Amino acid sequence: MKVGRRGFLRSASAALVGLSLKGGRPIEGSYVNDNFQIGHLLRDRASFPAPKRKEKISVVIVGGGIAGLSAAWRMQKRGFRDFVLLEMNAQAGGNARWGENEITAYPWAAHYVPVPGPKAVYVRELFEDLGVLRDGRWNERYLCFAPQERLFLFGRWQDGIEPAVGLRQRDRDQFQRVEDLLAKYRASGRFTIPLELGRSEKDVELDRISFAEWLGRHGFDSRLLLWYMNYACRDDYGALAGATSAWAGIHYFSSRPEEEKGPLTWPEGNGWITRRLLERVGEHVRTGQMVHRIAPSARGVAVIAGDTEYQAEFVIFAAPSFLAPYLMEGFPHLQDFVYSPWLTANLTLERLPDSRGAEPTWDTVFLDSPTLGYVDATHQSVRTHIDRTVWTFYWALADGEPADGRHLLLAKDWDYWKEAILHDLERVHSDIRQCVSRIDVMRMGHAMIRPAVGSIFSDERRRLIRRDPRSRVLFANSDLSGISIFEEAQYHGVEAAQMVLRSVSGG
Amino acid sequence: MGILLFISVLLVAACGLIYELVAGTLASYLLGDSVLQFSTVIGTYLFAMGLGSALSRYLVRGLVFQFVWIELMLGVIGGFSSAALMLAFAYTQGFGLLLYALVIVMGVLVGLEIPLLMRIVRGRYQFRDVIAHVLTFDYLGALGASLLFPILLVPRLGLVRSAMLFGLVNVAVALWSTYLFGDQLVRARGLRIACLAVFCVLSAGMVNAKLITAAAEDNIYADDIIFARDTKYQHIVLTRFKDDLRLFLNSHLQFSSRDEYRYHESLVHPGLSAIPAPRRVLVLGGGDGLAVREILKYPQIASITLVDLDPEMTRIFSTNPMLTALNHDSLRSPKVHVINADAFPWLDSNTDSFDFIVVDFPDPTSYSLGKLYTTAFYRAAARHLSAQGMMVVQSTSPMFARDSFWCIVATLKQAGLHTYPYHVYVPSFGEWGFVLAGLHDYELPASLPAGLRFVSVAGLPPLFQFPPDMEPMPMPPNRLNTQVLVRAYENDWKDISH
Repeated sequence: MKVGRRGFLRSASAALVGLSLKGGRPIEGSYVNDNFQIGHLLRDRASFPAPKRKEKISVVIVGGGIAGLSAAWRMQKRGFRDFVLLEMNAQAGGNARWGENEITAYPWAAHYVPVPGPKAVYVRELFEDLGVLRDGRWNERYLCFAPQERLFLFGRWQDGIEPAVGLRQRDRDQFQRVEDLLAKYRASGRFTIPLELGRSEKDVELDRISFAEWLGRHGFDSRLLLWYMNYACRDDYGALAGATSAWAGIHYFSSRPEEEKGPLTWPEGNGWITRRLLERVGEHVRTGQMVHRIAPSARGVAVIAGDTEYQAEFVIFAAPSFLAPYLMEGFPHLQDFVYSPWLTANLTLERLPDSRGAEPTWDTVFLDSPTLGYVDATHQSVRTHIDRTVWTFYWALADGEPADGRHLLLAKDWDYWKEAILHDLERVHSDIRQCVSRIDVMRMGHAMIRPAVGSIFSDERRRLIRRDPRSRVLFANSDLSGISIFEEAQYHGVEAAQMVLRSVSGG
Repeated sequence: MGILLFISVLLVAACGLIYELVAGTLASYLLGDSVLQFSTVIGTYLFAMGLGSALSRYLVRGLVFQFVWIELMLGVIGGFSSAALMLAFAYTQGFGLLLYALVIVMGVLVGLEIPLLMRIVRGRYQFRDVIAHVLTFDYLGALGASLLFPILLVPRLGLVRSAMLFGLVNVAVALWSTYLFGDQLVRARGLRIACLAVFCVLSAGMVNAKLITAAAEDNIYADDIIFARDTKYQHIVLTRFKDDLRLFLNSHLQFSSRDEYRYHESLVHPGLSAIPAPRRVLVLGGGDGLAVREILKYPQIASITLVDLDPEMTRIFSTNPMLTALNHDSLRSPKVHVINADAFPWLDSNTDSFDFIVVDFPDPTSYSLGKLYTTAFYRAAARHLSAQGMMVVQSTSPMFARDSFWCIVATLKQAGLHTYPYHVYVPSFGEWGFVLAGLHDYELPASLPAGLRFVSVAGLPPLFQFPPDMEPMPMPPNRLNTQVLVRAYENDWKDISH
């Protein structure tokens, strides 16, 4: 090997690259999918024009996220066609929305579904419908490719997110001890998905303290263990362990079988499921339709959106439940529904940055970062050569009160978040600024329900879950469970649809 | 003055030892057999030192003047010894001659130093003190040099610059001596100018040492590089040594023209000859056109589709005369359709079916290449097999990467295919493995194309027998979500190289 010459060429080309980069790559982008303006119209009780036309329809689904789409899927599958789904945003999908550019499709929020356990019957049924599960076998193309996750810590990479390097004996002992504790809860069968099928009063005490307190009471003080526990809460609940019910913290770790080969994922994340659902029920979906009033009527219930009054027998309220008081006169404000503010961003990369020698993974996390890292949208591609890609960057604004995070989202401009994101990535990918050509940022003030202390066993929540057909409005959002995951949204959507199908005339 | 004098002794001794070590190290690097090289170099050097000491008695006048000149000569000769030896090895046949000539000259000069110094200072000290002090510092300098050399000098500076650095030390001692023993010197000024001149030459050498090393290494290491290019996808290097052409992709050897026929005949004929009336063949990877060359030996084949990621690869194997001579210009045959695409998505998007599919990818050294060895990939490939179709998969070495080989077999089985693993010996690769796979049973062919140099009907059955050291291993199939093969492959080769 001509080491000398090759070394020279390498340094010469590095010098050339250095020169051409001196100006820095211009990075374009903006806020996208903002919807707080419409939301604030409701909050501020703006006056809306009277409806111009009336439409008779048996069922109106309010909200086109996974809960609403799943309700539609169930009704469509049962041969019931007399329904409409009204979605406020221009695009259906809610937290399972997606985007697409010339490189790849990419998620805007939720980006995977763990391989469903035996209790998640509706999820399994859906995945059989969509060809994800066939003859008891998961389609290999939809299981997350290896290598799946990596954590950057102490100046190096490790496989997986649970810290495994730099642990002292004390840390190792605590990881083992917490695993033993969680294994008992797992074996109890009371921490299930859907949550409704296992939740037991026996564990009500766990809902009265925070997860951080529970960890403290058990003597856990390993910095790495606590980081990991907080990471889990931020990732699934958008909250720190101190703001999360201990019940929910335990549920995160003990609701799934230990051995799973998943998760299931797609380039556009759960947007793939949204697309497949829209292929089936899209004809019933009307986007850009903000419902601003739901009121009792002669036929049952009237739903007013834009210039149309829908005269329905039933409403499936699949939008976030906290909106109900703004739409339904006399509906009490919900006290036990706290929502976490989030920010997601999609970064277009013209080339892969320096990753300190590591091959790309699906999910990348940095220890001690306030963010949740990023997911690579081209990871599920079967191509062997990938030069351009899209990274979806996740950031739960978990520090402080949710209102603080929402304030920050409104107060700061796009440039602020662009710099914050690049700064976070630069700690590992030193040349990231030379690779990124675009950063689109989506801010969500009420991104997901937060399982705050006391919220899992809240009476308020129970009342909404009970879904009394006489009330004509059946709630279905995942916030009924207190945790915002695909399976819960789908469960409540399907349950609400089944209740409606039992009660509706001609159903 | 005393301590300064003895520090000169220490430095002079260090220089002497460094030159000896440089010569010994270079000889063992370049000629091999380090025990022999070090023994003979040290022996010769010590003998020459003795010679120098013996000759010192003939120097009688102007001792300081003589000493300074000896230091300067040593600075030049010792300082450039390493560079001269490397260049001599690279460009001449006379390395051994120069080595021992230098060792003798340097040894003689070093042998002169200490006796001369002792005589220069003898008037200032008692004889027993001179002996004691000079020898003490002499040995101390040797200790310092012998520790510095392996720990600091070779790893940090390299051999060329280490020698030059100590050449500079010799010159510094020379210059210093013109002041230290100025009282015994008449033409100090001229000597000092000479010292500065040599100092400049050596400094220039230090600065340009990289060029010298590069020039030498270009000629020392292996074969001529006749083509090297970084394409969008890989680093392609083609080397030639006499009649042997070798292709490296990302520094992995792909073939040697001396024995590639063994590999490519074995890849193609056991499977293709067993298919009754093959019409359409697909080659995945194999942009070198060598598998295609073998496939073109079947006149009944109407169409060959070659899918290779890298257009640069198929271009040079269609145009470079040395390479087209090797692949018999196969890529420009009217039967051949070259498609530059990523194989897996191409299989997904294409609907053609083929009677024979050759899967000839680089070894699974990364997760991205690992995708091409998964159940999902083989299922996608199997969808393109005609009713009588079979595929063959290059499957690394069942000898050196036994787990990997049987993992590929398990993966093909898991994809629902019947598998027929076999192996051949390719000298430049070692024992190499392939797997035939299809939706039906395989029977050995009764005839083969004429003119093959390695594969024969009689020679086929033993290829399908695996001796105990290559016997099947129980391995899980390789899936996209597990990629067990990449890890197995890494471990297999780690075991070999350790």
